[in-house]
Amino acid sequence: MGMDDVWLIPAIPAAAFAILLLVGKYLPRRGDWLAIGAIAASFVIFFPVLIDLLDKVDAPDFAGGGRGWDWVSFDDFRLRLGFHVDQLAIVMLAVVSFVALMVQVYSVGYMRGDPRYGWYFTAMSLFAASMLTLVLADNLLLLYAAWEGVGFCSYLLIGFWHERRSAAEAAKKAFITTRIGDVGFLIGIILLWREAGTFDISEIFHFAEEGGYSAEYLTMAVLFLFAGAAGKSAQFPLHVWLPDAMEGPTPVSALIHAATMVVAGVYMVARMFPLFELADPVALNVVTALGLTTVIMSATMGLAASDIKRVIAYSTINSLGLMMVALGSGSVTAALLYLFAHGFFKALLFLGAGSVIHATERQEVADLGGLASKMPVTAAVFAIGTLSMAGIVPLAGFWAKDEILNVSGDHQNWGVYALMMLSVFITALYMTRLYVRTFTGRPRDHHAHEHAHDAEPVMTVPLLLLAALTLVAGFVAFDGVGEALGFPGGFGKFVFFEEPEAFHFPWDVAIISTIAALAGITVGVYAWSGEARPARRAAEALRPAYLTLANKYYMDDLYQWVINRVVLTAGAVIAWFDRNVVNDTAVDGSAGLGVFSGFQMKFLETGKLPNYALGISLGVIVIAIVFMVVRV
Amino acid sequence: MTYEEFIFYIVAAVAVIGALGVVLARNVVHSALFLILALLAVAGVFILLSAEFLAIVQVLIYGGAVTILILFAMMLTRVRDMPQALDGPQRPFAALAAGAFLGVSILAVVATDWPGETEKITVIPFRELGEALFRTWAIPFEIASLVLLVALVGAIILARGEEGE
Amino acid sequence: MIPINHFLVLSTILFSLGMYGVLARRSAVLIIMSIELMLQAVSINFIAFAVYLSPGEFRGLIFAIFVITIAAAEVGLALAIILRIFRNKATANVDEVDIMRW
Repeated sequence: MGMDDVWLIPAIPAAAFAILLLVGKYLPRRGDWLAIGAIAASFVIFFPVLIDLLDKVDAPDFAGGGRGWDWVSFDDFRLRLGFHVDQLAIVMLAVVSFVALMVQVYSVGYMRGDPRYGWYFTAMSLFAASMLTLVLADNLLLLYAAWEGVGFCSYLLIGFWHERRSAAEAAKKAFITTRIGDVGFLIGIILLWREAGTFDISEIFHFAEEGGYSAEYLTMAVLFLFAGAAGKSAQFPLHVWLPDAMEGPTPVSALIHAATMVVAGVYMVARMFPLFELADPVALNVVTALGLTTVIMSATMGLAASDIKRVIAYSTINSLGLMMVALGSGSVTAALLYLFAHGFFKALLFLGAGSVIHATERQEVADLGGLASKMPVTAAVFAIGTLSMAGIVPLAGFWAKDEILNVSGDHQNWGVYALMMLSVFITALYMTRLYVRTFTGRPRDHHAHEHAHDAEPVMTVPLLLLAALTLVAGFVAFDGVGEALGFPGGFGKFVFFEEPEAFHFPWDVAIISTIAALAGITVGVYAWSGEARPARRAAEALRPAYLTLANKYYMDDLYQWVINRVVLTAGAVIAWFDRNVVNDTAVDGSAGLGVFSGFQMKFLETGKLPNYALGISLGVIVIAIVFMVVRV
Repeated sequence: MTYEEFIFYIVAAVAVIGALGVVLARNVVHSALFLILALLAVAGVFILLSAEFLAIVQVLIYGGAVTILILFAMMLTRVRDMPQALDGPQRPFAALAAGAFLGVSILAVVATDWPGETEKITVIPFRELGEALFRTWAIPFEIASLVLLVALVGAIILARGEEGE
Repeated sequence: MIPINHFLVLSTILFSLGMYGVLARRSAVLIIMSIELMLQAVSINFIAFAVYLSPGEFRGLIFAIFVITIAAAEVGLALAIILRIFRNKATANVDEVDIMRW
């Protein structure tokens, strides 16, 4: 079993989905074992694929392996179900399959007793299949199809408790917002296909390298592709759906909105990176600019959010922005290293929050507090996740964030670098705020506090595994560690663009970032512990700023206004057109015309002889005239 | 104008006057009488065309039989004399149609180059006409007689009415 | 000699007058009379063509004979029908016999 069998990885969850869809409700325990078994099988198959890949990766022209089937093929148009695995894909596979497995096991405990328990696992299996297909797709059309698939599953799962109006609205918002990006994505794909004549990614790369696209054309296509990435990865201005997506069950947030789907945009840009490099530098500058804006906006909004999951959601948007800045700075390595680490510690944070929510049935930080004594394990792992997010050595988040700071320092101007450091400070600030308000201090809602307890093993074991990975995953950046595991070297020698990068550790960046992070933590502890008096005074003093942040920079209101004024008005115009012109005139009108002309023409049938005779006479005259004209 | 043309014009005028009388008369019996006049004038035209046999047949059948038939039918159906009973509401359209047809036909007639001798009549020997009728055209002749038989029988049946009348 | 066009124009005039009569007159009997006019005109036409343009053949004359024959038969039948309608509807007015209308 090797790289050629990589197609099994998405196929098994897809089969599980089909079975669950059809007969899920008749299976014992609604088939959760089937879903978990499928994703576990995918995870297991990952290993022989990895080994096979490591065997072959040292070959000079290694371009990955995999297999595909032609689905439609005529003339010069080909649609292919192709699966291709290379270093980039294998990293994503690792993250996706492992985190999906953890989340599904966790869900057994979290979703217990839910009336639609079976449907949850069905949708989860579909999501796993779509996400894995997206990672492994070798042509843009299949990638786009899987892209839409994960978007659809996100819709299903965000709106899982669709009896709640807010959940239904959030699902709609997520889908529509990402759809706007997807339209751009599709335009980009079509632009690329139009000149290259193929959807196959490697063929498009060849075409582009040989200069098949003009520089302006390629830049335009690449920017359209990025629009899709911006939608899926919640970059400004399409970030508004992610905080609302927290309406879904927490394991869903952990899997989809932290570790896997939202990073699909990052993955796609990384995958198409050769095109970004060949295009005008303005493309990557756009990526950096939007990424940086996202980083700062999300960090500041995280300071004002009050729901546990929302704070973590903002931290996810923050992380996505960091990854985009890394890509914009030209480093696929840094972005992917962060993606790898982020998958683990962000899922850890969400699942930890899930344990809190499951036990106390509260989500607002204002209702929590002092849970550390009642939920020690959860508090401990949550602490690990928080520190990793803030970027404290030796956790995975530190190494990953440092890499990004490195490349942004190398390739961007000092303004970008300074803002990145600032974001480190703010991130540490709000993550500390979250931790302090939730787990330390005196409990604010005693009822919640009484119910707090560490979750059952089926939920806690995934937490522990993810925490363990958060502790050690960062070390894969080291060459020594990588070689020991059988890789050609550290992360930089395995996942790279053009040139493998040996790991080097600039002490200045590390020290500045650590200072920023520690400063953030200190200020956070000071401001928010106990009664949080310093924080309250600051909020009062800066009330306008606080309100702006709490209202998410009023972006939701802006979008709603645009929708109300522009979209709905346009819709009303079109509806008027449809009702009056198309329906009344074209449809009803043509029918009415038939009725009317029939009514008029019945008068020809008078039954009176003279009338008929007149008709005959007129006919004869007309024929006579016609003959005369034609002949003469 | 030769005297033949002069005679033709007179006969033609009589025929047209007769026709006008048929379609415009206010009294139905007058219409019938005008019809007789027109029929006889047409017989004159036949003579001018050197088809004497046809002229005689015309006078005998039309003048004798058909007009009597029509007069009897008029009597039996009690046609009224009032003008609105005589002319239908279609009058203007009828005039229009007839006028249009007249115009088109005359145009066709004068504009066409008739092939053959257009000035001279060739008199057809009567004997050959008879031979042609009973030899070459024997079948249509027989069929015509059958038609007459059918018409006769049919008319009797139709006109007889209900049983016991 | 009389040119053929004279006869043709005459027959056209008679035919048009007959056509007017058919279309404008109300009584069925009067319509029959107008039809007779039209048939006359047609006969003149045929005979004129026969004697002027194709004297070797007798078609025109023969046709005229048959026209007269059939006209006679037709008048007999038509008048029988009119009598029948008159008995059923007490009218020979064609404007009033409109059973087969919409």
